[in-house]
Amino acid sequence: MAVFQLPEWAALAPALILAGTALVLFLFDSINPRSTNRPLLAGTAVAGSLASLAVAVWFTAAGVGATGIENYGVVDVMNGQFIVDRLALYFMIIISIVTALVAVASYDYLRDHTYQAEYYSLVVLAATGMSMIAASNSLVTIFIALELTSLPSYALVAILKDNRGSVEAGLKYFLIGALSSAIFVYGISLVYGATGSLQLEAIAANLGAAGEMGGLLGLGILMLVGGVAFKTASVPFHFWAPEAYEGAPAPISAFLSSASKAAGFVLAFRVFTTAFPLEATTAVIGVDWTVAFVILAIVTMTLGNFAAATQENVKRMLAYSSIGHAGYVLIGLAALSTEAGDLVMGAAMMHLLVYGFMNTGAFLFVALAEYWGVGPTFADYNGLSKQAPFASAAMAVFMFSLAGVPPFGGFWSKYLLYTETVNAAADNTVLLVLAAALVVNSALSLYYYSRLVKALWIEEPILDRDRLTQPTGLYAAIIAAAVMTVVILPAFDPIATAALEAAAAVVG
Amino acid sequence: MAATATGPFGFAPAIAVLPLVAFAVTLLFGKHLPKKGALPGIIATAGSLLISLVMFAAVGGGNAYHTTLYEWTAGAAASETGAEGIAFTFGVLIDPLSALMLVIVSLVALLVHVFSLGYMNAEGETGLPRYYAELGLFTFSMLAFVFADNLLMAFMFFELVGLCSYLLIGFWFRTESAPSAAKKAFLVTRFGDYFFLIGVVAIAATFGTVGFAGEASFVTAAETAIDDGATLFGFDAQTWVTITGLLVLGGVLGKSAQFPFHTWLPDAMEGPTTVSALIHAATMVAAGVYLVARMFGYYALSPTALSIIAFVGGFTALFAATMGVVKDDVKQVLAYSTISQYGYMMLGLGVGGYVAGVFHLLNHAFFKALLFLGAGAVIVLMHHEQNMWKMGGLKDKAPVTYYTFLAGALALAGIVPFSGFWSKDEVLFDALIIGLEQPIILAAYAMGLVAVFFTGFYTFRMVFLTFHGEPRSETAEDPHPVGWPIKVPLIVLGILATVTGLVNMAPVAKLLDVEITFLEFWLDGEYGSVEGLTYHAYHETVAFEEGVIGGSETTTMLLSAGLSLGLALAGAFTAHTLYNVPEPTRHMQKLGGAYSLLRRNYYQDEYQVWLAEGLTLPVARAADRFDQTVIDGLVNGTSTVSLFSSSWVKRIQTGIVTNYAALLVGGFIALLLVLGYLGGWFA
Repeated sequence: MAVFQLPEWAALAPALILAGTALVLFLFDSINPRSTNRPLLAGTAVAGSLASLAVAVWFTAAGVGATGIENYGVVDVMNGQFIVDRLALYFMIIISIVTALVAVASYDYLRDHTYQAEYYSLVVLAATGMSMIAASNSLVTIFIALELTSLPSYALVAILKDNRGSVEAGLKYFLIGALSSAIFVYGISLVYGATGSLQLEAIAANLGAAGEMGGLLGLGILMLVGGVAFKTASVPFHFWAPEAYEGAPAPISAFLSSASKAAGFVLAFRVFTTAFPLEATTAVIGVDWTVAFVILAIVTMTLGNFAAATQENVKRMLAYSSIGHAGYVLIGLAALSTEAGDLVMGAAMMHLLVYGFMNTGAFLFVALAEYWGVGPTFADYNGLSKQAPFASAAMAVFMFSLAGVPPFGGFWSKYLLYTETVNAAADNTVLLVLAAALVVNSALSLYYYSRLVKALWIEEPILDRDRLTQPTGLYAAIIAAAVMTVVILPAFDPIATAALEAAAAVVG
Repeated sequence: MAATATGPFGFAPAIAVLPLVAFAVTLLFGKHLPKKGALPGIIATAGSLLISLVMFAAVGGGNAYHTTLYEWTAGAAASETGAEGIAFTFGVLIDPLSALMLVIVSLVALLVHVFSLGYMNAEGETGLPRYYAELGLFTFSMLAFVFADNLLMAFMFFELVGLCSYLLIGFWFRTESAPSAAKKAFLVTRFGDYFFLIGVVAIAATFGTVGFAGEASFVTAAETAIDDGATLFGFDAQTWVTITGLLVLGGVLGKSAQFPFHTWLPDAMEGPTTVSALIHAATMVAAGVYLVARMFGYYALSPTALSIIAFVGGFTALFAATMGVVKDDVKQVLAYSTISQYGYMMLGLGVGGYVAGVFHLLNHAFFKALLFLGAGAVIVLMHHEQNMWKMGGLKDKAPVTYYTFLAGALALAGIVPFSGFWSKDEVLFDALIIGLEQPIILAAYAMGLVAVFFTGFYTFRMVFLTFHGEPRSETAEDPHPVGWPIKVPLIVLGILATVTGLVNMAPVAKLLDVEITFLEFWLDGEYGSVEGLTYHAYHETVAFEEGVIGGSETTTMLLSAGLSLGLALAGAFTAHTLYNVPEPTRHMQKLGGAYSLLRRNYYQDEYQVWLAEGLTLPVARAADRFDQTVIDGLVNGTSTVSLFSSSWVKRIQTGIVTNYAALLVGGFIALLLVLGYLGGWFA
C-alpha cells in the first residue's frame, strides 16, 4: 500500500485533469475570444492531455484496478456510478495519446483560424467525455459522458465556419447523432423498465426480475447496441462518418475516428460484459446477443472496405477504412460467447491501441496535405514523396500498417486478433466466418491503401509544386505516430499484457 | 585445441576445408595466379591427401573418430519410435570405410589436378580459374560427404556434389551440347534426389535421429524397432525400413547412374575428360555407392531392399556392358563401362558382400581414373579427336600412355592378376553363394557373369582400335606429344591399378590358408573401428543363407573365379580376332537388328524424352492453362466483382441526410427482426 491514501474521486484524475484543462482553455476564450496565441493555447491542451496520460500510466503501473495485496484493486467512485479499473485506464491512455497528437498537430493546422481557444477547449472537453465514458459504470453516467463527447464533436466538425462542407457535415453529424442518441436513451429507459436499475452491476443482478419482459429487455439491449454502433461508426449507424470526416478539419477527423471510436468500444465492452452477462441474459431474452455483433462485424468490415476500394477522395477512403476497422474490433464482442472470448477481446483492444497511432497518423498526414494546399483526391497526392520524403515515408508506414503488412504494429495486432478468433472458433464455428471475413477484407484493403502509397511514391506529379514548408507541430505528431507504429512491435509484450488484463477485468 | 584433445583426428575437417579455401582463392584471384589457379588446387588436394593418409594411419593404429562439429538446430520432436528430440548437426566420422575413401578421393583429385596442367593449361583453354575453382568446390563437397556423420549432412553435400558436376559438365557452356548434357545430369540425378530427400525426412521423422554411427543412430534405432516388433506409420517395422531405404536408394540410383537413371552419364562426357575422370572414379558416381556402404547397416536389416539393390546392380552391369560394345567414341565406351562397373558394386553390396563392394569401389576408382586420364592423353595425342575409328597404331608412338592404359584395361576386363579381377571375382563369388539359395540373386549373378564377357570384349575392342593396327587418320600418324603432367598421373595410377588387387586376394588366401585379406580385416575393424560399423556386424545382420557347390567353399570359389576369368578372356579373345588386325572393320551386320537397338541405347533416351515431352509437357500445359484461366480468372474476377460492388456500395451514401436516417432505422429494424425472431420476442 502507498504511504498516503488519496480520496476515491482522485482515481478519476485522468478525466478530471482533462476537464480542468478544458475549463482553463474556456477561461482564455472568455477573456479573449480572438486570441491567436497559438503556443499558449496548443501548449495548454497538449500539457493537459499529457498530464492525463502520465497519471493514467502511473495508475496502471502503481496497480490501480489490479487485484492482489500489493495493488489497490478496483476503485468505485460515487457508489459505483464510476469505476476505475484496468479497462478504464487502458482506454484513458489511448484517448489521451490521441488527444495529445491531435493538439500538437492542430498548432500548425489552425495557423490562420480564428476561435483558437474555442477549438482547443472543445477538443479537450470531448476528450474529457471520452475519458468519462471509459470509467462510467451506470447507464446514466454513460449517457451524460456520451453527450459530453458528442456535443463538442458536432461543433468541432463544423468549426470551419466559412467552409460549406464543414458546416454541412456538422449538421448531418448532429442530425444522425441526435437520432442515435434518441435510440440509445430509449434503450436505456427500456432496460430500466425491465430491470429497475441503471447501475450496471445492479442490472446484471436484476436480470432475473425481468421475467416476462424478456422481449422488452431484448429491444432495449438492441437499442443500446445502436448507440454503440453510432459512436464506433458501425453499420448501419455509420452514415455520418464519411461526411463528417471529409468535411471536418483533418485533425478533428483523426480525433473522431481514433479516440471517439475507442470511447464507443470501451462503452460497449463495459456495458455488455458487466450489465448483460451472456448466460443470464440469454435465459431472459431468449437469444444470444453476440449474434447482433457477429452480424454487425461482418457487415461493417465488408461494407467499409468495399466502399473504400474505389474512393477517389483520400479522406473519404480513410473514413471508410475506419468503418472497416470498427468491424474488425467488433469481433472482440462477437467472440464473447466462447471460452477464449477474453483473449479475442484483448486482441481487439490491442488493435484499437495500434489503430490509435496509425489511423491518427494517417489523418494527420492528410492534415499536412491540407495545410500545404494539396487537393483532396489521390491524383493530387501524386509524387508528394519528392518534396516531403519523411512525411511520405511515415504515410507509407501508416498505410501498410493499416493494411496489416508485417513488420508494422497493425500486422501484429491483426494477426493476434485473427489467431485468437480462430482458436476461439473451437467453441463457436460462426467465428470461422468472422476470421475469414477479416482475412478477405484485409486483402482487399491492401488494394486501396497501396493505391495511396503508389500515388505518393511512384506516380509523377500532375502539376509542378513549389517547395513545401515543414510545419514543426504536424511533422512532430506524424513522425511520433509513425515511430510508435513501428516500435510498438518490440513493445508488444507489455501492451499485450495490459490489454489482456483490461479484457480480463471485465470478462468474468 | 581439438587436435591436442583427439590426436591427429582434430585435423579431420581440414581435409575438406583445404579444397574449399582453394576454391575461394582461385575464384577471387585465379586470373592473377600462375597456371591460372591450378597451384592452389594442387597444394590443397596434396594437403588433403596428406591428412587423409594420417587419418588412414591413425585408423590403422587402432583408433576411430566420431564427433559433432556444429549443431545448427535442435528441438523437441515426437518421433514414431518415441525419441524425444532431434538435432541437426555437422559432424565428422572417421572409420575404416571413410578413411579409405578419403584417401581415394583426395588422391584421385590430386592426380586430376596435376593432369589438368597438361590437359587444360597446355591446350590453351579459357576460363581456367573457373575450372579450377569448380574442381576445388567439387573436391570439398565430396570429401565432406565422405566424412559426414549423419544422413542430412550427407544429403547436403550429396546435392553440392550434384551442383558441382552440373557446373563442370557444362564447363564449355558456349557449345550446344555441353549445357544440355549438364542440365540432363542435373535433372536426372535430381529426380532421384527427390526420393532421397523424402527418405531423409522419413528417417528423421521415424527415428528422431539421422546419425550414421553410435547408439543414437537411426540404424540402431531401426534394429531395436524391428526387434521390438514395433509398428511404424502403420507398417511393420521391417517393411518401413525397406520403404525408407528404397527412398534413399532413389538418390543412389541417380548419382551412381543405375538403371533407369543411367541416361545422364554417357551425355556427361561433354565435360572435360579430367572432369569425367573425377566424376566417374571418385566423386559424383562413387557418392551413390558410397552412401549404400555408409549406411549398410540399415540396408542389411531389409532383405527385400538388398535383393532389389543386387538385382538392379546385376541388371545394370549387363545392360550397360552390352551398350558399350557398339560405341565409337572412346569416352562413350568408358562411360558405359562405368555404369556397368557400378552395377557390380551394387550387386556386391546387395548380396551382403560389403567387403567385395567396397573393394571394387577402391579398384575401380584407380583403374577408371587411369582409363579416363589415358583417354584424355589419347585425346590430346589425337588433337581432340575422340572417334576410335580414326585412331589406330598409337601403341608405338605413345608407349607410356599405351602401357598404362593397357594396365587399366586389364584391370577393367578382370584379367588376373590386375586389380579388377580380384574384386569382381569376389563380388561374383558372394553373389553366387547367396544365389544358390535365392533364385532372384541367382538371376542377378547370371547377369553379372554374362556381363564379364561383354566387359572383356568392349575393353579390348577399345584398346585394339585405339592403339593397335595401322593409323587410320593423319593425326594418328603424327600425334601431338604429351608432357609430364600427363604422364606422371598415368604412371602412378597404372601402378595402383596393377597392384591394389593384392590387398584382398581372397581366393589365394583360401587356397593357401594364409591371412592376406587385408581389406577385409581393415573393414572388419581389426585395426580401428566404430562400434557396429564393421563387416562382421553387417554380416550377422544380413538374413541371407549361403550355399556352396559340391559341398566345399573352396570348390565353389575356384569354379566362380575360373568361370569369370574364362569369360573375360573369351571376350578379350573375341575382340582380338575381330579388331586386332591392321585394317579393322565395323562388323555391324553380325549383330543384325540388335545393332541398332544397342546403338540407340535400348531407346532409353527416347522413352525418357517421351516421358518429358509426351507426358510431363502436356500435363504441365494443362496445369498452366488451368492456372491461366481458372485461377487467374478467379483472381481477376474477384477484383472485378470487388470493384464493381464497391462502386455500388458507394452509392448508398447519397449525401441526403433523410436517406441516411431512413436507412439507419431500416437497418436497425432489420436487425431487430432477426434477433426478435431468434429470441421469440414476438410470440
